Amino acid sequence: MSKHHVTTTLNGNAVEFLCETQQTLLEVLRDELHHTGTKEGCATGDCGACSVTLDGRLVCSCLVLGVEAQGKSIQTIEGMAEGTSLHPLQRKFLEHAALQCGVCTPGILIAARALLERNPDPSEEEVRFWLAGNLCRCTGYNKIIDAVLDAAHEMRGG
Amino acid sequence: MDAKVIKPEAEGRDDNALKIVGTSPVRPDGVPKVTGLARYGADFALPGMLWGAILRSPHAHARIRAIDTSKAGSLTGVKAVITSADFPEQKYEFVGPERVAINFWHMTRNVMAREKVLYEGHAVAAVAATSKAIAEAALRLIEVDYEPLPHVIDVDAAMQPDAPLLFEDMITRGVEPPPKNASNISKRTELNLGDVDAGFAAADEIVEMSFKTAPVHQGYIEPHACLARFDAKGQGEIWAASQGHFVVRAFTARLLNMNIGDVLVHPAEIGGGFGGKTVIYVEPLAAALSRKCGHPVKIMMSREDVFKSTGPTSGSSMTVKIGARKDGTLVAADGLFKFQAGAFPGSPVMNATMCGFAPYNIPNVRSVGYDVVCNRPKSAAYRAPGSPISAFAVESVMDALAAKLGMDPLKFRLMNACKTGTPTAWGPKHAHDGYAETVKALLAHPAYAAPLGKNQGRGFASGFWFNNGGESSATVHVNEDGTVVVATGSMDIGGSRASMAIMAAETLGIAYDDVRAIVADTASIGYTHVTGGSRVTFATGIAVVEACRKVIAELCARAAMIWKLEPGEVIWENGCARPADAAAGKLEPMPLKAIAAKRALTGGPIGAEASVNAGGAAPGFATELCDVEVDPETGGVKILRFIVAQDVGRAIHRSYVEGQMEGGAVQGIGWALNEEYIYDDAGRLLNAGFLDYRIPVASDLPMIETVLVEVPNPNHPYGAKGVGEVNIVPAMAAVANAINNAIGRRLTELPMSPPKVLAAIHSGQK
Amino acid sequence: MNAAPVHVVLISSHSGHYTGGVKEFEIEAKTLHDVIRVLDQRYPGLGEHLEEETSVAIDGEIHEVAYFHPMRPGGEVYFIPKIEGG
Repeated sequence: MSKHHVTTTLNGNAVEFLCETQQTLLEVLRDELHHTGTKEGCATGDCGACSVTLDGRLVCSCLVLGVEAQGKSIQTIEGMAEGTSLHPLQRKFLEHAALQCGVCTPGILIAARALLERNPDPSEEEVRFWLAGNLCRCTGYNKIIDAVLDAAHEMRGG
Repeated sequence: MDAKVIKPEAEGRDDNALKIVGTSPVRPDGVPKVTGLARYGADFALPGMLWGAILRSPHAHARIRAIDTSKAGSLTGVKAVITSADFPEQKYEFVGPERVAINFWHMTRNVMAREKVLYEGHAVAAVAATSKAIAEAALRLIEVDYEPLPHVIDVDAAMQPDAPLLFEDMITRGVEPPPKNASNISKRTELNLGDVDAGFAAADEIVEMSFKTAPVHQGYIEPHACLARFDAKGQGEIWAASQGHFVVRAFTARLLNMNIGDVLVHPAEIGGGFGGKTVIYVEPLAAALSRKCGHPVKIMMSREDVFKSTGPTSGSSMTVKIGARKDGTLVAADGLFKFQAGAFPGSPVMNATMCGFAPYNIPNVRSVGYDVVCNRPKSAAYRAPGSPISAFAVESVMDALAAKLGMDPLKFRLMNACKTGTPTAWGPKHAHDGYAETVKALLAHPAYAAPLGKNQGRGFASGFWFNNGGESSATVHVNEDGTVVVATGSMDIGGSRASMAIMAAETLGIAYDDVRAIVADTASIGYTHVTGGSRVTFATGIAVVEACRKVIAELCARAAMIWKLEPGEVIWENGCARPADAAAGKLEPMPLKAIAAKRALTGGPIGAEASVNAGGAAPGFATELCDVEVDPETGGVKILRFIVAQDVGRAIHRSYVEGQMEGGAVQGIGWALNEEYIYDDAGRLLNAGFLDYRIPVASDLPMIETVLVEVPNPNHPYGAKGVGEVNIVPAMAAVANAINNAIGRRLTELPMSPPKVLAAIHSGQK
Repeated sequence: MNAAPVHVVLISSHSGHYTGGVKEFEIEAKTLHDVIRVLDQRYPGLGEHLEEETSVAIDGEIHEVAYFHPMRPGGEVYFIPKIEGG
């Protein structure tokens, strides 16, 4: 089984990897590139734990093949903070206790950032519907919604 | 949404004296979790690591005639293949506490089928190979010769005399004299208080109803995963996400016939558990594969595996009858609770029989439970195991009885509320208050009397959960610079490192940020029982505070040496040593940091360990209000408002206490409205994925409102009671009672999915 | 000892196997260890059952079974099924 050579950009860095045809982007990120911040919750596109952006588009990395990353720019949770400076969403998630076990958190943060890039001033309902593809079993979502709304407020200069 | 805090008993400890307890600082493990650097069960790797994969039964029930692994074993890249033959046989005996007795004869068969497969998804063999793809290919080369057998899924069907038997020689325990014939009924339990028949004879109104609930899965987002490494000397290491790494160690050692001391378990971060990760599945398989081939082996379950082969909680069939006098006084209650254990005995039915009537002062109670095996995955603990199921029945009947009596459902509960001294169905008297206070909190809430619109309804329900204590260990070490490391053996599933750091900082009188709390591996801390039963903040918290007190005693002794005083002449106050007696001279208080700096001169490093078997855990009570709107055309139910009033003792980390209440309520809403296992005629699960097994998503819900009722537990240094579980207990009945209020029809089967609600609307009966 | 004895009740359903169905006892005891020893002397094997398979409610407070728990004269001790949570 010969592997494919893929050239891509991961969190702004040029990256090359070899992958098998059937390997998903999620598997490549975790098993080949050792970026385990992106989580597998279902591998069927139902839980959102593996959310990343591909050329700015929010996707479930379990539904994307590794080879599809050729020439694209991938953003994962590992690239969200700038050095030691957390993204406002990350900071607000901590301040609001918006995570309990934290395994859904990387995917939700990526999804929430994608929302705020499109809609800097979402309503509670818009946040709830945008994040409806990201399952959290611990929190009941209250504090996640609060954190996203608070981060949006801060990012607008509120 | 800001939570309310109600303190019915403000006397006793002066809350204002607490500086850190009750605040909500950022958790010590927070940054790694928002940056993707925290390592969960599936995130570990070692050089030379192999991938493990598990072959699972396609049949609900079949005899295994033979397994041929020779072709799989000879595939290039395959390093080990195991079947049940690689695990020693275990003695057939129930060991340990009655309610949760473990039978290793069952456990070894659950992790790897022997004579028979007992459910679709039951593991029959496993391989380790150099890649995932090769491991999967090897599974397809394993030949299993099955003799399919008739199967049974439903609990009532499984109790029939002609039902297919999972164990041909299983005689029901708890029946005297023992039955002559084998059955699927593993056990019968009965609790009695007073005289039930006389009680009902004295009742003016009686309501009796029957209920069914579907099995539901804990639904943690992280599938089970682990990495195991065994060396040539027969010692092993496991990295696993579990609710108790000491339990992983004990069970794995037992199933592999190893000494406990030869297994070291590292606590990975855990991606949710809710009870489902208090038992083992992949760990002994990865360990056995690694032991066989000498390479590290990693196994990750798929989501389908999680649904098909790990523990949901039981489905049930129940009948509950409650009687009251005209004035509303409860006089008798009778409950029959039949629970699916899954493929092996051990449902939480005994808890259900104990908890169902526990919130009430009822002089005459009978509560009967049946633990019944059937061809489903073995049930595992799920948040207050057993209690939410019996509460659904009891609280629905309480609602109907209140209506029959023409009484307000909350005031009806309040007049019958248990308090300290009220007898329980299982014997002892309640030793703590807290229930009535949760009811009063809702009676005083503006939502109690808020108007409702068309197709809307309001429901109330209450719940009880024991909360556990038990064995925990903690160490507290003072670092050279005066900061402090707190280590415990409790897996942190929802922020407990933050709670431990709060309690340590409060006790030592230092800043929260000067305390670093960690979870230590099984070789680095004393035995600590699972993170479950809402026990960690209580029991492990007591261990942390005891260790801090030992450290304080040592700090005082060191300060005394520095001051040339006797040890008894120094006390600890606000993070500083100071002479007890002003006559000792004008000595400035000596802060912890200054004592730490002189540690070498005064005897060396300063630290202490405390191990406890904590008793006196106070139970948890919760009462909930639910407003719904029912769509008369689709039967869809929308949750408009949901309020959890829970006695939390005293909130240690307030935000995480709220989070437990919010999360528990939402799990209960999912249980009420959506979640169920759907089987085909062949006993195969049809909805083994998050698309079709639908847990609540953000757009399904309003903000859950919380009311923290604080009736402190005097048996904990800061008054804490367990808060993790009781919040789920009332939820399904609260939703059902709200639907009844909206449409005038009582739903008695969970989930109350749109087709059932629609059928109820269209049925003639009220 | 002229203190009032402790009232002891066995709730766990297995206890009856040892006691022939007797469930309630009056025992003079200073600690829970005394209670278990007296019961085990009367019904050999019962002590181990109580130690391994039950929790105990002492005047309503639930504890793990441990020898050191003090007994109050006239107190109530219930050996109950052990509870585990999720």
